[in-house]
Amino acid sequence: MRDWAFILALTFPVAAQAQEGGAAAWDRIYAVASHPRCTNCHVGEEGRPAWDDLGYGPERLHGMNVVAGESRIGAESIPCRACHMSAAGDNAVPHAAPQVDDAWRLPPVELAWRGRSSVEICTLLRDPEANDGFDIAALVEHVTTSAFVSYGFEPGAGRTGAPGSVTSLARDLKIWAEAGTPCADD
Amino acid sequence: MELTVNGRAYTVDVEDDMPLLWVLRDELGITGVKYGCGIAQCGACTVHVDGIAVRSCQLAAGDVDGDITTIEGLGTPEALHAVQAAWIEHQVAQCGYCQSGQIMQAASFLDLNSAPTDDQIDQAMSGNLCRCGTYPRIRAAVKTAATKLQGA
Repeated sequence: MRDWAFILALTFPVAAQAQEGGAAAWDRIYAVASHPRCTNCHVGEEGRPAWDDLGYGPERLHGMNVVAGESRIGAESIPCRACHMSAAGDNAVPHAAPQVDDAWRLPPVELAWRGRSSVEICTLLRDPEANDGFDIAALVEHVTTSAFVSYGFEPGAGRTGAPGSVTSLARDLKIWAEAGTPCADD
Repeated sequence: MELTVNGRAYTVDVEDDMPLLWVLRDELGITGVKYGCGIAQCGACTVHVDGIAVRSCQLAAGDVDGDITTIEGLGTPEALHAVQAAWIEHQVAQCGYCQSGQIMQAASFLDLNSAPTDDQIDQAMSGNLCRCGTYPRIRAAVKTAATKLQGA
């Protein structure tokens, strides 16, 4: 009995600490996921990217009447790549179309984050079935290799970056996963 | 650097980061393509790379990965592209400065979407500005060209 008490006394604070660390890590992940650099493209079925955080207010949608459509690349009207080059660039000119070394497209519609709450995105991200098949390992792999994610932290002239860095985001995803992917309404 | 423009091979001696628009106009003397804003906001510099509309002011020469077509290579006076023919039929152009970009955008759009809705036409052409305001005629001409291409 004394052994059990000893084990419980050791385990519970550790578990509680991990849970707390996980919740704090999620808050930092959400600060990234809800940043306009991410949500401007993480949009829903309407396929209408946004121009939030460019000085026109949060409701402003992408100029030029851009609709990425069901294809998510604008194939039905004007492809993203008409203006956004798929090549690394310094993005040093404000108001020019940002470019990265990847094919320009909107994220899958399952990953629509714009306008969603912390709990909604949290619940979505921890469930691979609701999340375009991404488990945590795949998410970490994605954030560490995607040119779009890197761009989100260093978007160039005239645009604020998402808080933190690729490294801190990957670290927070791991902390959150090790804590059992807690969400606020658990 | 090797480039193929309107079916002809060119060798140019330019920096990798020179915008394609500069290469076309200043190095090769192909001046149908126009400079408007230099930041992909107006569409005047639109050309095709492997048939897809691209703002040539944004594309570095070193990143060109396909054959380029400019308005000079889209059709000929004897054999106009359906979009060019529709442009004449509807007398779209006023001052004309933006029209090469407009036509290249429309031609690429109809190649990707041969049966566009009116909304899709508006969406596809909204990245090309016309300071003369010829938009109603542009819309009508794109519809005419779409119908003609569907019948072809």
